[in-house]
Amino acid sequence: MTPHRLPDINALLHIPHLRIQNANAISGPHSWGHPGPTAFTGLMTALRRKLGPELDLDMVGVGIINHHYQAQTNGDYVQRFNLSRNPLNKDGSTAAIVEEGHIHLELSLVFGLALGNTLSGASQAELDQLATRIQQTLHTLRVAGGSILPGRSRLQPRLKHLPESTEEQQGQFRQLRRWLMPGYALLARDDLLPAPAQPGEAADGSRLDAWLDQCRLNHYPVADEQGQVSWQHSRQQGQGWIVPLPVGYGALTPLYPPGSVAHCRDETTPVRFVESLYSLGEWLSPHRLTDYRQLLWYPSHDASSGVYRCHNDYHLTRAAEPAILGELA
Amino acid sequence: MEQAPPRSQALQQLIAAFIGSRLNDKLDKLSPDDPKRSELNAQYQPHNWLADAARRVSQLQLVTHPQKSTHPDARGSSLFAPPDSLPSRLEIGTHCLSDFASDVVGNAAALDVYKFLKLEYQGQTLLQMLQADDADLLQALHHDNTVASQWRAAFCSITEPAGGPASHVLAKQIYWPVSPDDFPADANDDSHYHLLSILNSSALSHWLYGRIQEHRFGDAAKAARQAKRDGNNHPHGYHDYPQLAEEKKGGTKPQNISQLNSERRGSNYLLASLPPHWDSTEIRPLYQLDNTFRRFGKRQPVRTLLREFGDFLSHLKPEHNNIHIRQRRERYLAELFDELLQFGAAYSNSLSPGWTDHPDCLLPLAQQCWLDPYRAEQDADFKQQFECQDWPQQLATDFAYWLNRHLEGKGLQLAEAEFDYWRRELAQDAGWQSQLDRLQQGVPA
Repeated sequence: MTPHRLPDINALLHIPHLRIQNANAISGPHSWGHPGPTAFTGLMTALRRKLGPELDLDMVGVGIINHHYQAQTNGDYVQRFNLSRNPLNKDGSTAAIVEEGHIHLELSLVFGLALGNTLSGASQAELDQLATRIQQTLHTLRVAGGSILPGRSRLQPRLKHLPESTEEQQGQFRQLRRWLMPGYALLARDDLLPAPAQPGEAADGSRLDAWLDQCRLNHYPVADEQGQVSWQHSRQQGQGWIVPLPVGYGALTPLYPPGSVAHCRDETTPVRFVESLYSLGEWLSPHRLTDYRQLLWYPSHDASSGVYRCHNDYHLTRAAEPAILGELA
Repeated sequence: MEQAPPRSQALQQLIAAFIGSRLNDKLDKLSPDDPKRSELNAQYQPHNWLADAARRVSQLQLVTHPQKSTHPDARGSSLFAPPDSLPSRLEIGTHCLSDFASDVVGNAAALDVYKFLKLEYQGQTLLQMLQADDADLLQALHHDNTVASQWRAAFCSITEPAGGPASHVLAKQIYWPVSPDDFPADANDDSHYHLLSILNSSALSHWLYGRIQEHRFGDAAKAARQAKRDGNNHPHGYHDYPQLAEEKKGGTKPQNISQLNSERRGSNYLLASLPPHWDSTEIRPLYQLDNTFRRFGKRQPVRTLLREFGDFLSHLKPEHNNIHIRQRRERYLAELFDELLQFGAAYSNSLSPGWTDHPDCLLPLAQQCWLDPYRAEQDADFKQQFECQDWPQQLATDFAYWLNRHLEGKGLQLAEAEFDYWRRELAQDAGWQSQLDRLQQGVPA
């Protein structure tokens, strides 16, 4: 399996403060809350198609920053989704309740673009125009099933060429990330999962427990030398805001040729039955990021393992923790 | 008739006992002179019952991924994809299960056939033995080998979907970009997609449900929670699932979804992946206030952090200074800085520039520069102060002073060294410093 890396980009598009009403809060069969990265790479694909084939650019990756949310749930120990009474069936009987979860979101998105030859020489004024056009197109789409409401931010969308030198890129990114606050960026933490068992080793059932261990608060007692007990929980250890994250899908069947599976959305695309796959993510304050590669999510397909998933290079590119102690300012 | 081997006889008895007990359950509900009794007696003769079961088994399917778990009216294929049939993957999914519960979908009236196939003999289910073509079991089913083979084929078909593969308009189907070569897929080329029909893993849902129930209501968890309330020690502690959600599938008829769903009374646990909550509704101009940090300290996450930090520090003795303690202290400080920068950005990004230029604004200049930097765009006097004054250093001092005083209030004696340490930390924090650098280099467009 080859490790995935963000494909080359040469421009960044910042869409500030989208307000989204009633996005789907059930992000996967075993998770709820914020829509996962697939909802946003899917949005990116839909947006690119809507912009039309004449436009000379590829949309490669998308960064997700949450500013605020309001989950439509109730309950104390266990959250329950606020249910809606749906329209009657054709024969006038009441429709069965199928639970849906909703959440209102305030987000900023950052798209990584690969501009083609004609656009890569465009002036900033032309780019500003393009940014406005893309934002207007985006407003006609749905985000994770939710509708986009008029924003109340005074920020404008910005499209900027990526500078050549790494230093300038980082300078540009520092400027960008200030606009992403207050908020939290969603990043991949695949590195916190134990590696799967190699062929010949025992089955890796314990990986599930290791995954679940990161998705909860663990409370445990700590005794000092006098035997005095105080209780702590895992988030106090400063490991960051780690959450379960549906990252994509794994094949359950071979790929069926187009038209051979009944009742599909079309007869011309190959079809496969899949299940959701999970990994771990982290919500991090944007000022801790140093590089656009740490922010962007991009889709991939691995034919050998039958995995369709989103990647993010945060854990591959983040700098080692800066040493703070023992130095003078 | 040739004598069957003892293993076969034992299997025959097992089957007969199973059928017999089902018959007795039925008979118990009838009055002694009910004419239906003789009818039932005939129906529950082992050969008759087995022949009927072999016919009815087609109404059931053994699955790991029931289609109806997506929507009760979805009518596409359900799949039997046990963990060992899936390739090893880096992610978490059904393939990670070492032991799994099979699910059953189909006509609930035929579930007795599934119970029959789940009967265990010497650690193996009858279904597993049938799949392995166990000769003794075949003989126990029927003395005629042809009939037994037919029944075997019928029972083994329980893992196969009826009809060809099908999705459904209520099933989830998504397009995934797949490039025919190494380049990123072309969104506008219709041939660059696979259509994915998404099924839920009820095997994984069931595992998750079992684990969480145990952690919420199990005896070990209860004992650990009690120990915490009493302030006692405990060998391993307990687990909490913050913001755990419960979804009910199938409404009043969870059996309509699947057998395992029915066993959980429709309950499906969902783990929360929500971000930290940054409440920006309270962001309005800070007037009649001479120190921002007082407002900062009232924020709920900051209060929690300060409390935990204070607890941590008050348990430390002066000689405690190992790497773990230092790291933990740094992490608390880093989290406080995160909060501080979020707080500052909330004011500078959400409010109209120039909000500090108001007679009611009593904030010191350093805090005005921090919370309203874009005022420099429109206010020449302010711009000069902004660019020339050493306000970041002043701000760091204010922050360190505030934090010091706050933690002293918790009964901590903090030395001058500690005060310096914090000021230095703040001035040196990477995010903080670069943000201030940017601000001082001039206001971004």
